Amino acid sequence: MPPDTSPPTAFLPANPWLEALVAHSLVLDVLGLVGLMLIVVAAVRLARRHKSWGGHLMVFGAACLLVARLYLLGEAHLGSEDFFAVIGPAGIAATIALPPLLLSFGLAGVVWGLWGHDRWLRESGR
Amino acid sequence: MFGIEATPLSSIEATRPVFWIVMGVSLVIFAWRLSRASPGWDGRLIMSGALLLGLGYMVILPLHHAGVIAPAKAPAAGNSDAVVFWQAVRMTVMNGGWLCFGLGLAWHAHLMKPRKNSPCDSSPHPPAHAPRHLPTHRIPSRKSVA
Repeated sequence: MPPDTSPPTAFLPANPWLEALVAHSLVLDVLGLVGLMLIVVAAVRLARRHKSWGGHLMVFGAACLLVARLYLLGEAHLGSEDFFAVIGPAGIAATIALPPLLLSFGLAGVVWGLWGHDRWLRESGR
Repeated sequence: MFGIEATPLSSIEATRPVFWIVMGVSLVIFAWRLSRASPGWDGRLIMSGALLLGLGYMVILPLHHAGVIAPAKAPAAGNSDAVVFWQAVRMTVMNGGWLCFGLGLAWHAHLMKPRKNSPCDSSPHPPAHAPRHLPTHRIPSRKSVA
């Protein structure tokens, strides 16, 4: 009998539910987008009603995350050769560089904004 | 051992997992502080969303970036069932985390609370179903109602 050369993660059985979940990933992605939209709207409300500067930062961060994830979701539909021919080399470079930058700045904005809002809550409660 | 490619420590590729881990830890700590300041379902939802996002940013994304969890685009690198499992876990944790966090923040900002329309609302166009009080009408006081 030949020795077992399978990788250590081979203990997982095939699961049709997981395969269906991955195959219909658009549903989960849309749920994540809904969550980001809720963060944007709630942060706008916090920033306008309570004058919380953390709300402004959360608006910026969540909007960056929303734009980047919308682009990454639509990349499969937009990423044709005609589209890249229209936007040119500078546009192609932007499509490569901008999504990671937006994701990083967006995450930092949401975290920093949450810290700012928590601090504003404590200061206003005094 | 796990097929991790060596990258210079000062490169952007090497610092991205560190950034994710720092942001994940910070998100969990700040959400915990905020949930202590606002007890209720908004705090619980924010905390559960932050925990899911923290798990994703602190554990799953760095492992995925390091190649321990094989990406779905190259299933031939490892067991395809494990690839499907980790892909499902990653999508569920990240998207569910943002959804929970957004719901909690919306609750915290009173987005889902309906506005109370008082009959003495000073808006120029009160709703049609609201009782109208002309200047000659006497608004009943609390004592007379009681």
